[in-house]
Amino acid sequence: MSIEIKNLTYIYGNNTAFYKKALDNINISINDGEFIGIIGHTGSGKSTLIQHLNGLIKPTEGTILLNGEDINSDKKKLKEIRQKVGLVLQYPEYQLFEDTVFKDVSFGPKNMGLSDEEVDKVVREALSLVGISEDTYYKSPFDLSGGQKRRIAIAGVIAMKPQVLILDEPTAGLDPHGRDEILNQIKIMHNKTKNTTILVSHSMEDISKLVDKIIVMHDSKVMYFGTPSEVFKHVDELEKIGLAAPQISYLIKKLEKRGIILKNDIYTVEEATKEIYKYLKTNGD
Amino acid sequence: MIKSRNLKFKYTSFNPEDNSKTEFQALNGINIDIHAGEFIAILGHNGSGKSTLAKHMNAIFVPSEGDLFVDSLNTKDENNIWDIRQKSGMVFQNPDNQIIATIVEEDIAFGPENLGIPKDEIKKRIDYALNSVEMSDYRKAVPSFLSGGQKQRIAIAGIIAMKPKYIILDEPTAMLDPIGRRDVINTIEKLNKEEGITIVLITHFMEEAIRADRVIVMDKGQVVLDDIPKKVFSQVEYLKNLGLDVPQVTELSYNLNKLGINISTDIISIDEMVEAICQLK
Repeated sequence: MSIEIKNLTYIYGNNTAFYKKALDNINISINDGEFIGIIGHTGSGKSTLIQHLNGLIKPTEGTILLNGEDINSDKKKLKEIRQKVGLVLQYPEYQLFEDTVFKDVSFGPKNMGLSDEEVDKVVREALSLVGISEDTYYKSPFDLSGGQKRRIAIAGVIAMKPQVLILDEPTAGLDPHGRDEILNQIKIMHNKTKNTTILVSHSMEDISKLVDKIIVMHDSKVMYFGTPSEVFKHVDELEKIGLAAPQISYLIKKLEKRGIILKNDIYTVEEATKEIYKYLKTNGD
Repeated sequence: MIKSRNLKFKYTSFNPEDNSKTEFQALNGINIDIHAGEFIAILGHNGSGKSTLAKHMNAIFVPSEGDLFVDSLNTKDENNIWDIRQKSGMVFQNPDNQIIATIVEEDIAFGPENLGIPKDEIKKRIDYALNSVEMSDYRKAVPSFLSGGQKQRIAIAGIIAMKPKYIILDEPTAMLDPIGRRDVINTIEKLNKEEGITIVLITHFMEEAIRADRVIVMDKGQVVLDDIPKKVFSQVEYLKNLGLDVPQVTELSYNLNKLGINISTDIISIDEMVEAICQLK
């Protein structure tokens, strides 16, 4: 599904002392099947932005078009929109509540009115997509590790077969292993389903490995929107707003100052290895 | 000095359905020495035993076997518990679970009040603690209106007001954004360098660990590496196998070395990498 955000402005506490413009004239087009990363520090507006995409929040001004259709044009359609656009909130494992993994993931599809066989089918599919094996289906979700709990919470959203999947900081608080597990699984899912996927994160390094394009939010506005290599060229500007670019981006910039000019759109260790090796082979003694 | 000798710890969980017990060996023979004034980082993936070890350092847990001493006090002796907890304070992951009062200064006063410290002295300690974490302007603030990083610094101030010799921090930045993380780590480093407080920092973030004097890596309840950051991070393959990260530049130097470039493999900072490449060209 394509998403088009047009002139979107959102104000919290309009006409009160708590007035705050959380989103300021946002314009973004996301194509069907794209994998988008959103970064920005706390308070930059990124969570407010994604909550608009499934109608949890209504714009103060502007429109959100899903496949060309305004999501707020008809209140009765919101239920349908929320099923199409699956939103995984921060720390989603806090929302687990059933006594078995299987029942927990079934909750959404059951509420959609699916038959028992259909529920069984979508739940199994969702759990297998997040890499949870059958021997875990009937365990209590509360007995599992943090990374597993989170994947089960994500499965609960996937089981509703959304066509757009939005994840708000899915790796927050996990160790590197749990983090890689979740990110790999999200990548695999995206490759399989080809659904539009939006990932909100603090970590540039995580995002840079996965996404097609990055949205950088700052002060309620979109500061950059482009491919990772386009965005990470702005190392200094990103640093100024408190977002560190990957270490490699800094390295390339510093080498440049010392007269070693490499391609300036490098941001992964693999690319840097290749480029620096090539450079040293041609210029080294 | 915090010292452990052959420290072992077992968790026992009880299943009421069939009255069975399951045991899990979380720590399996730990020998460490943490000297006064050191800044130690402890790394390890979830379940490696690092939090369990940390909780031994202020007697939340006591060893199933072996001993842990804080200065000369054995944590097994219940009479020592108050002294140990005053010497070594703990800061946890979630700031919201550690702040109890509705005004910042009252929260910081909680610890010293419970030690029965006179009012004037408590006031001085609040000043000192807030100043140490650079939050003096927030003395009368309401904690729930602060950012995650600010709340975490208030939690640290609450510990500092107890005048501890050791502060043990269990993933204090895991829930923070990059700015909050930077502020908390700068505060921790300052407490170590300027106030001489011994720091034990448990973290998943390599960029935090490289700032320590020494890095201890844990796996399956044991210490597997214990050395200066450079020596620890140069073991790229080994750390990756343990499910841990290494700094990007360390990985880069490792890769270049494998390709036959004569570059040192213990590079951990960007500047070191820049120098190394400049020397090679």
